[in-house]
Amino acid sequence: MDYSNQIRDIAAKLFAEGKIDVFVGYRMSGFDDNQVPVVITDPKETSVLVFTEKSVFNLTNYLKADHTRNKKVGVVVKGCDSRSLNLLLTESQVKRDKLYIVGVACEGVVDDKGNKMQNCMECFIPDAVVFDEMLGKPQGKKDYIVNADITELATKGLIERGKYFEEIFENCIRCNACRHSCPLCYCAKCCIDQETSTLYNGTNTSSSAFHALMTWSLHLAGRCVDCRNCEKACPSHLPLHLLHKQNEKVIYENFQNHLAGVEEGDRGAFYKYSLKDPDDFIM
Amino acid sequence: MEAESKDKIVSIEKPELIAPPDWKPVIMGILCNWCSYAGSDLTGTSRTQYPPNIRIIRVPCSSRVDPWFIIKALQTTADGVLISGCHPGDCHYISGNYYARRRFLVTKELLKMVGFHEHRVQFSWVSAAEGAKFAQVVKKVTDDVVKLGPLHLYKKENFNR
Repeated sequence: MDYSNQIRDIAAKLFAEGKIDVFVGYRMSGFDDNQVPVVITDPKETSVLVFTEKSVFNLTNYLKADHTRNKKVGVVVKGCDSRSLNLLLTESQVKRDKLYIVGVACEGVVDDKGNKMQNCMECFIPDAVVFDEMLGKPQGKKDYIVNADITELATKGLIERGKYFEEIFENCIRCNACRHSCPLCYCAKCCIDQETSTLYNGTNTSSSAFHALMTWSLHLAGRCVDCRNCEKACPSHLPLHLLHKQNEKVIYENFQNHLAGVEEGDRGAFYKYSLKDPDDFIM
Repeated sequence: MEAESKDKIVSIEKPELIAPPDWKPVIMGILCNWCSYAGSDLTGTSRTQYPPNIRIIRVPCSSRVDPWFIIKALQTTADGVLISGCHPGDCHYISGNYYARRRFLVTKELLKMVGFHEHRVQFSWVSAAEGAKFAQVVKKVTDDVVKLGPLHLYKKENFNR
């Protein structure tokens, strides 16, 4: 999967036609063979753009930033990124008429060690769902697979699970990188940042991380697209996908196979209801 | 000596921690204004006895309950949480409890995954006429939480040194 040349051509053409002011893509980091996001405003710089299986980050996060807001923007999206972009469009965070979307039929990206990412192995929508131009051969939708880690966790006992997650939450340093890297977290003021919250009482404990991460993941439930920007940004390498995938699994199994961001105009599982939703857990 | 011969009060999530013998559970009750709060009022006016461990908070609708409230309660003081709203179809705001129902299921399953017993957080539909049902529900929740013991998992007070 190498679309570097096509993306350079497209960006140069769009700049020449005046369709965009800014292009958001990937470039080589300069230190190793990893890639970093780049925001290009100068048409001469389009030669730095690349796109290979190392293009891991979700670029839709940059469409909410000041340097792209209210400008005509071109952006490269993979399957999962396009789903988060779909949600951002529905939630009026990004304007469709100011966007030129280069969709990619993604074959999966790799982590630092060169292994295919877990979310790519379980990916059910590899092609971009919203695009102006498509690169690569579309593969079509695949079946939803329940995350292997969630299935494994379900076999463990109550106390064992509690200990496992206590250790995870203990290692959280509350840097909020997960929140800042999340394309769907855009509230100007976040409820987990209140002065009364545990963030400001000087503790990095499993308790404060439990409060922050659980609230965060439940506020993203039904919207998380499993792009794993949060995990890539986490300095403590916490398996944050466990929280999101659990929510995704419960929502998929109980609420008419709902998957976030797949359909245009869909605001997420918690913005609609059905009379047939499960009720047996309520007294 | 007598205290040792009795059954010790052990937290189910953290069996190594033993509670003092005079431990009493604290349960946060979040009730919707139009049905459950009126129902609890009826329980009071009809002089039905129910356990005093519940601390009731009134909200406009069960869909006002953010999962954050539940997490915050479990993290700070509560040993259990009860959330109650109108029966499906009876919501004062037409469909609020249908939205709430979806959120409750996801919250409950996630809390179960991170190590809480499923009886820590319970939900009920209580209408304004069901004063007796409200007393039963509070009794059941209190009995369940007494069986589970005090909640120590992720508690803030564990770290107040």
